[in-house]
Amino acid sequence: MEKYIQPFVDVCVNVFKEFIGVELETERPHFADKNDLHSWDVSAVIGLTGEARGAVVISMKADLACRLTGMLTGSEHSGMDDEVIDAIGEIINIIAGNAKRGLEESFRLVISLPTIIRGSNHAIQWPNDQARIICIPFKIFDDETFVLSVAIEASHGA
Amino acid sequence: MRTVLVVDDSRIMRNIVKNTFSAMGIPCDFVEAGNGKEALAQLETREINLVLLDWNMPELSGLDFLKKVRAMEKYSSLPIIMVTSEAARYNVIEALKNGATDYIIKPVNEKSFREKISKVSL
Repeated sequence: MEKYIQPFVDVCVNVFKEFIGVELETERPHFADKNDLHSWDVSAVIGLTGEARGAVVISMKADLACRLTGMLTGSEHSGMDDEVIDAIGEIINIIAGNAKRGLEESFRLVISLPTIIRGSNHAIQWPNDQARIICIPFKIFDDETFVLSVAIEASHGA
Repeated sequence: MRTVLVVDDSRIMRNIVKNTFSAMGIPCDFVEAGNGKEALAQLETREINLVLLDWNMPELSGLDFLKKVRAMEKYSSLPIIMVTSEAARYNVIEALKNGATDYIIKPVNEKSFREKISKVSL
């Protein structure tokens, strides 16, 4: 399982550095349950299909989503407007697409378009019950956090 | 003045692509499309000298756009550079097999643009 997760961790750190210009600190990954309560305001989800099945999700508070968007657009965002949704979707799209490179010796994957889920304690519909969800917290801007959650399992016959 | 068609479903990414391209100092006009279908319509309405094309988009994906355009004789030599997060080698090979002129992996930077664009005759 770890070898499937590491590419997402590496890519996430690199994408934040190259795309947004921010260094991340990776914290200890842990297993999560899909019914766990959380305090995130927004999640962006990319479905994974092909020779494996699963999803990769980035979740954060609205303030952080606005701040990151501002760094990409050069303008200020105080709420979850269309540009913030666009930015968070593009960030997860770049993470998922780049992670495929690190996974190509294990699976050929197809990634979906991003889906954005908003609201306090929103629920994510994970595509498979079997794969365990690994949650990787990242520290950003010294005192803020977001999480990247990944569930991935080889498809039958792959 | 050359015209560059920037195709991406993310408006933020279209702006980043335009800004990165502009930083190279090549004088050009930009037109935009949010998916492959809109891009086809743009091709029919004006002369385009270069297409910068995302892969994953609603309505018509970049790959499907590429296949349609390359099936038309009049666009057989139009430079089309994929600008996409799809970083796996099998994706790069698939795009090149289907007629992509070159391939840039997001996140984009001026260096990768300079390298690829310099090979294209605009």
